[in-house]
Amino acid sequence: MREKAIVFEVNERQHCTTIPSHRTLLEVLRALGYVDVKCGCEKGDCGACAVLVDGEAIDSCLTLAWTVEGRAITTVAGLGNSNNPHPLQAAFARNGAIQCGFCTPGVIIASESLLRKTPNPSDDEIRFALSGNLCRCTGYTKIFEAVREMVLTRSGGVLR
Amino acid sequence: MQTRTKLNTIGRNTHRKDGIGKVTGTEQYASDVSVPRAWYGGVLRSPHAHARIASIDTSAAEALGAVCLTFADVPRVKYNERTNCAPPHLYRDRYVLDDTARHVGEAVAAVAAPTRALAEKALRAIKVEYEVLPAMLCAADALKDGAPKIHETILYRGKETPIEHNVAVTRLIEVGDIEKGFAEADSIIEREFEAAPVYHAQMETKSVVCKPAVDGSITVWATTQSIHNTRQLLAEIYGLPLHKINVKKIAIGGTFGSSIQMNSVVPICVGLAIKSGRPVKIATTREEDMYDHCRYQVRITLKLGFKADGTLVAGHMKTTVELGAHNTQGYHFLGVIAGFWVSLYKLPNMKYEGTAVYTNRTPSCAMQGFGAPQATFVTEVIMDEIAELLGRDPVEYKLTQYRGLGDTFWGQGPTVKSIILSDGVPELLEVGAKKIGWDGRPVPGTQTGRFRRGIGMARSFHCSGVGQPRKTGAEMIDYSGAIVKLNEDGSIDYIQSLMDHGGGTCEAIAKLVAEEIGVPLSMVGISDVDTNTTVYDITTHATRGVFAGGAAALKAAKSVKAKILDYASQLLDIMSESLVIEPSEELGQGVIYCPGYPEKRMTLGELAKYLHVNSWGTIAAVESLHPVTAPPAYVTYFVEVEVDTETGVVKTLAAALGSDCGTVVNPGLAAGQLTGGLSKGAGCALIEAHQWDRQTGELASKGFWVDGKTLSILETPLLENLHIDFAHTYEPTGPFGAKGIGEASINPALAAYSNAIYNALGIRFREVPITAEKILAALSTKKVRRTQPAQRELVNS
Repeated sequence: MREKAIVFEVNERQHCTTIPSHRTLLEVLRALGYVDVKCGCEKGDCGACAVLVDGEAIDSCLTLAWTVEGRAITTVAGLGNSNNPHPLQAAFARNGAIQCGFCTPGVIIASESLLRKTPNPSDDEIRFALSGNLCRCTGYTKIFEAVREMVLTRSGGVLR
Repeated sequence: MQTRTKLNTIGRNTHRKDGIGKVTGTEQYASDVSVPRAWYGGVLRSPHAHARIASIDTSAAEALGAVCLTFADVPRVKYNERTNCAPPHLYRDRYVLDDTARHVGEAVAAVAAPTRALAEKALRAIKVEYEVLPAMLCAADALKDGAPKIHETILYRGKETPIEHNVAVTRLIEVGDIEKGFAEADSIIEREFEAAPVYHAQMETKSVVCKPAVDGSITVWATTQSIHNTRQLLAEIYGLPLHKINVKKIAIGGTFGSSIQMNSVVPICVGLAIKSGRPVKIATTREEDMYDHCRYQVRITLKLGFKADGTLVAGHMKTTVELGAHNTQGYHFLGVIAGFWVSLYKLPNMKYEGTAVYTNRTPSCAMQGFGAPQATFVTEVIMDEIAELLGRDPVEYKLTQYRGLGDTFWGQGPTVKSIILSDGVPELLEVGAKKIGWDGRPVPGTQTGRFRRGIGMARSFHCSGVGQPRKTGAEMIDYSGAIVKLNEDGSIDYIQSLMDHGGGTCEAIAKLVAEEIGVPLSMVGISDVDTNTTVYDITTHATRGVFAGGAAALKAAKSVKAKILDYASQLLDIMSESLVIEPSEELGQGVIYCPGYPEKRMTLGELAKYLHVNSWGTIAAVESLHPVTAPPAYVTYFVEVEVDTETGVVKTLAAALGSDCGTVVNPGLAAGQLTGGLSKGAGCALIEAHQWDRQTGELASKGFWVDGKTLSILETPLLENLHIDFAHTYEPTGPFGAKGIGEASINPALAAYSNAIYNALGIRFREVPITAEKILAALSTKKVRRTQPAQRELVNS
């Protein structure tokens, strides 16, 4: 088994960790205590483990940890906290876009990734961006509404 | 109708207390629990659908430093994983680990090791020799004469009882005389239906952490819908007194019924922890989870007799249920199908014959609706057909036959009888029909284009819990406890072992407590608790959380309020009957006062502080409550679909969902139950099926979740034209007039979609899921051979 020390950043904190070549980013992040990154399937089916790598949402279960060397990772806990929630987090809480909450970290990460690239997405672009995130509780309606509300707020009330 | 004139928090949208933790990722689930020195646990699972273990050699795994567990290491205690049924109705057929595997994916051995990598390596190092046995992968094979037995005997009422022909349990229920009933009928209709098994697809896989202590006690964090039942069952298996087992209440990432029973990995993890003397954690993989539980596969034949005026006179239902490898709750499941069926419409004469069969597949268990989706599917599709035969509007016809205000209904099976005291059905049907454009729906079979539209409706209910008035003899255990405590600053601790699946049950109950005592909702805290610090609560299941669990908390809140008023009466020199407590958002406190005497007032905080500094003691109450009713939470679905006749794909264009949950405690969260119900319901109606390879018994999806077809945001009905309405009813036996909602929200979906597709195409589908393939096949058959007119299939008696 090959191992090497890799340097990467998680939520603006530097880490240098020795990791075997076959370990996924999901396993490494959870082992480091970032348990806000949820393990749903380890097969890229559900999106619960999504994190931002240099601003782009990826499934951390399908990403070998070695590939994030030198890169910056943001988990949902890195977006905001209870004292200072990120506007998307506040919108999800306000809209009741959460039930059991297990999909929520991944869904918020996927939404944030979309809004960084496409600040004023169409309804179809929102659906497409969230199509890799399964949610069994909500029927997605309130999730969709929360993201839409963010778009509306940011664009000053104009929807594409 | 008795209602409160002014409510402060009930009926308003409030932000859930656990919301911010969930959006910022700090909410902790069982798989997130980290205990120092904990080892990783893993489970070795059978590759065979049916095999006896000839030998297991764990020496190579142990040489790697792992602790191993096989059937020889665990107590030989046969148990049933779901202890909600009263003991006469428990069918015990499983061990923590057994010497026989009865389905692919069944646990054969387990290991614990310092790292996950080592645990995986140790699992690969275990050598198992299997004696492969013939596998019965469907009911027809299992029931064949001379079919090998999946279980030789099970433990039933204290005795090892033989199982014949792989039939786990049968039920015969009769009311009236169906011979006489059918003789009186002007017409008789008989139809066959089938509902496929479905994977729960809850987001969190089953996880558990067990920490042993030097005194032999254990602490357990587990994915469960009942911390007390988990504790009781672990005590039964491991022979520990209850006080030595503490199960912690922790957030659950969805269950939909799949953790009513103690999950199979929980006692395995406990066994590993006891053997190794270390904390052990097991988080199952998605594939393991998919082999662990699913919804029952159900085949039903229903024969109904009715008069020329539409009056139903007799019904005969025959049901075959495939249990899979273990009988988690077959007896009760057969009973609820009967109960939900006969409680939808008045039926003076009925006969029900149910059979539950063992097969070598994933064990089945309750999933949202528990028999009601299937019973509703059968009943509402056949009622749609009868209405058409009679030339009547289904909505109008059903209103003449349904069980409503003042009628008796069964709720969950024949021992759960109640009288209906609140009924929002007429209101919901009227509103739903109007919003969907019911009167403008097409005539079935008249459309010819590629895209054909149709509107379907179905109505159903779920009982709010399983309460009933008899003192003994109920099939189900059903009670809840709660503790409510006034803190020294006027805030309230609400302490209850009841689990919140994510729907906001505990949030709703906190609102009941705040409302009753008269404090702002912000002053009620939902306590982190465990089995050692709470009183018993059966389980959050059966749509009982707010209705039954809430009633227990309300009882405790009333007791606390009476004590508060008693002390305030002494301090303010006012008769306690004349005192009122109301929340003041401005003060952030409950204020106690006497109307008309402005000087006679104090805040709850001032009272609590006075009691504290003068050593008068703490005001608290512990209560336990068994509800004596289980009122129907009615629900109605109207859906409009568009069927693409070239691809067979069904698109939902509009939906009008109605819920009669009595007083709506939190409208936003209640609406969330319905949108979730529609999404899962549409999945079950149109695409979802848990399927196994007919030769090997392996899952056809190979453990890939999207191959199991859980709806994503692209497939789910996400509608501009989604209408959600609540009936204006008040349930006299519910806390503040509330009933349940959870499971009801999915129950009509199968029937509503089948009826809508019939309306679009003129073809009846009586098997779900109604996949694109089935639609295309039916369309091509129809082109070749026009279907017989429905009237021809009637037998005039």
